[in-house]
Amino acid sequence: MLFAVCATGCSAPQATAQRGTQAASTTVPDLSGGWLRLDSEGSGSFDGTAQKFPPAALTPAGQAMVVRGDGRNVTPNGGNTTPHQAGEPYIVNNGACTAEGTGGSAIDPNSTAIFLLQSKDEVLMVREGPGGRHIHMDGRGHPDLTKLTPTLYGHSIGHYQGGALVVDTIGLPEGNVQGGGRRRPETRLTERFELAPDGKRLTITYTWDDPVLYVRPHTYQYFFERLPPESYAFETWCDSSDPTQRQSVVPPKQ
Amino acid sequence: MIGNRTAIGVVLLAAAAAAWSIGTSAQGRTATSPDISGYWELPIDGRHIPPARLASRVTPAMLRAEAAKSAKAIRWCNWVGMPTTMDVGRPLDIRQGTREIMILAESPLTPVRHLYLNRTAHISNDIFDLTTSGDSIARWDGETLTVDTTGFEPTHGVTTIPGGGFRTATSHLVERYRLLKNGAMLSVTFTWTDPAVFAMPHSYEFRYQRVERGYEPRPYGRCDPFDADRAAFFDAAR
Repeated sequence: MLFAVCATGCSAPQATAQRGTQAASTTVPDLSGGWLRLDSEGSGSFDGTAQKFPPAALTPAGQAMVVRGDGRNVTPNGGNTTPHQAGEPYIVNNGACTAEGTGGSAIDPNSTAIFLLQSKDEVLMVREGPGGRHIHMDGRGHPDLTKLTPTLYGHSIGHYQGGALVVDTIGLPEGNVQGGGRRRPETRLTERFELAPDGKRLTITYTWDDPVLYVRPHTYQYFFERLPPESYAFETWCDSSDPTQRQSVVPPKQ
Repeated sequence: MIGNRTAIGVVLLAAAAAAWSIGTSAQGRTATSPDISGYWELPIDGRHIPPARLASRVTPAMLRAEAAKSAKAIRWCNWVGMPTTMDVGRPLDIRQGTREIMILAESPLTPVRHLYLNRTAHISNDIFDLTTSGDSIARWDGETLTVDTTGFEPTHGVTTIPGGGFRTATSHLVERYRLLKNGAMLSVTFTWTDPAVFAMPHSYEFRYQRVERGYEPRPYGRCDPFDADRAAFFDAAR
């Protein structure tokens, strides 16, 4: 049951969620708009940034878990296991353009912008192509896992807490997690979306928790910059019938 | 800012909605605009599609070529875009914010539509890369949301238009959204104008039913372009 409380000292925009028996006054942050992920560590690449995350502390079961992948990536690590010469294209995936073929990144923002839209009952989180995350804000719980088909977006419910949007997700398929982590449908992902005081920076703190896979919850953060108000979402294009869709970017010969 | 410092206490879910309304009003939404947010489903009797009157320059060969192009997009699970996004056989999730309205179809092949409420002019042709969804700007005229879209990509996705014709780079689409039946129904009238394709503006109407609260979007249907059996089935019908 979701309750609303406007306690002494509230200021608008104001909404308060009570989940379970704990109530807390909460300001609704204005997250709506476009956000671009930052290479906050100056690593030169998002993979480089991820290498600086605290490594996941996996249980023996977590370490033994074999991730089969989603069928799109045809070589481990996107084909980066062996050096490639400049000008040498290499096959990295099977060329499918559909959302389920995005290598598990549906909940893992990459270099394309993300766009958030907050409405009363739902927050939409989309990228520059098909598909998107429905974050239910209407007080519902998760469906029974036995009745939930795992998807790359999982099932997400959210609430506002302490000026942050807190999103709880289950139902993700087996896969890898940044920082050497793993996930399975039972794994619980908690994301905390927090705005900087100036409203121009967004931090998402990811916490993966699953006592079967992790010795302790696995946490890392992404940082984003708000796009200017006049900016707009691009629509990327992908053609599965194009054989070059399967291959890497071709680095120019020096 | 409201600045209400009165202790009010605990109220039920309806008050949460009210609090949200206060918040969004503070962010700029006009208090009088309807809210079309929700899940909307197109029923079997929800389409009113008169035949289009095509321009004389449109030949049967051109129509066959567009049909083949559209079939190829589906065969290869490519993104379909407009106008197919609005009729994929499963509910649309429409969410209305202060800056834009998003439309997310329950399909792996439909790019998200962004209807921008915060500008009144289209992105300049000099910088806008044509897309299957185009560039959409929207405004409320009383109870009607008017959406104006240009900038369509003529070769990508499903280009055919219900009733006849196809979208091109010179297509202009105007949509009018109105809530009917006390918010239980959403009427969308589509009007396509394109002198390269239509002899006169081509209009049709879809009437969507609001899906019940608590609806759970279903996982996207899988579309595998490399499924040989699927490809053979699809190609045999063409």
